[in-house]
Amino acid sequence: MSKHIDSEQKLERALSEALKGLPLRRAPSTLEARVAGELERRAALPWWRVSFAHWPAAPRVAFVIVCIALVAATFLGGVFAFVGDRSFNEAAALVLSWVQPFLAVMASAGGVAALLVRVIPPLWLYGGLGLGIMLYLALFGLGAAAYRLYLRPSSAGDVL
Amino acid sequence: MRAYQDMVFSTAARLAGNDTQAEDIAQEVFIRAYEHFSDLRTSVTAGGWLKTVTTNLSLNYLNRYRKRWRFFSEMRPAEDSESEAPEMDWEIPDTILAELSAEQRCAIVDEALRQLPDHQRLPLVLYHFEDLSYQEIAIKLNVSLPKIKTDIRRARAALLPLLQDGGAARDTLDG
Repeated sequence: MSKHIDSEQKLERALSEALKGLPLRRAPSTLEARVAGELERRAALPWWRVSFAHWPAAPRVAFVIVCIALVAATFLGGVFAFVGDRSFNEAAALVLSWVQPFLAVMASAGGVAALLVRVIPPLWLYGGLGLGIMLYLALFGLGAAAYRLYLRPSSAGDVL
Repeated sequence: MRAYQDMVFSTAARLAGNDTQAEDIAQEVFIRAYEHFSDLRTSVTAGGWLKTVTTNLSLNYLNRYRKRWRFFSEMRPAEDSESEAPEMDWEIPDTILAELSAEQRCAIVDEALRQLPDHQRLPLVLYHFEDLSYQEIAIKLNVSLPKIKTDIRRARAALLPLLQDGGAARDTLDG
């Protein structure tokens, strides 16, 4: 073990020495022209083709106002379509007529769940929960194994 | 730009392990520098700013295509654990490529780095070229500290024969 650690430290020292003070690689001669060309291309783009952060102030404000107006129109359109020519009280009653049965169904479901919890032995409940977790983990493991077997690219460095 | 382009390109090329990608990254770095030109023009830390942006853009570039697979790819079996680090049963030399000129070493090192997989090359370059600590690399790459240490050890173990082969080939050519 000590020999192994010594070897690692020796390798680290030798590599540090070899990699230290290496000269920089010369950038391709085309890089400067590429950057200049790309800057020119971006500068020539009309304002609506660049990112929102670079838009002029007036179009940005206008865009935000239009978005808010669209959201408001959609919302109000939905409300008016639902209410129609009914009075406020009629519309409220209509909404409640939908809400009340829904609440009743939810309350019944809650009652059934509470009854089941009381009737079923706790051991069964914990067992079911444990089984669910085990199945989830098994599925997760299968996914990981399938990825490692079929999708993950292998490389020479992995086998060392 | 001329003063820094070699530094930016070298950093990107060693991290990406690919010259074409490095040129794309360098281009993006200088475009960002242009956008911050008023701040950078008089700054004494412009070089540091460029280095940091280059490193971050290189990591973003490499992450873009592997992010969705990273979770599974890092679910390594026990072979990757701290206790199962690669055994090096061969003789470690005192010096590596010491007899070659800096330019020759540079060419051999860059070629060897290109042959390492991303998960080994990135932490190795950040450690040996960018002088980051293991902890800083773990945070930057969003990977656990033991995995970083193991990957760097594996990278060194993989790099050594590549450098020795490169050095031997160079000697043969020169001889």
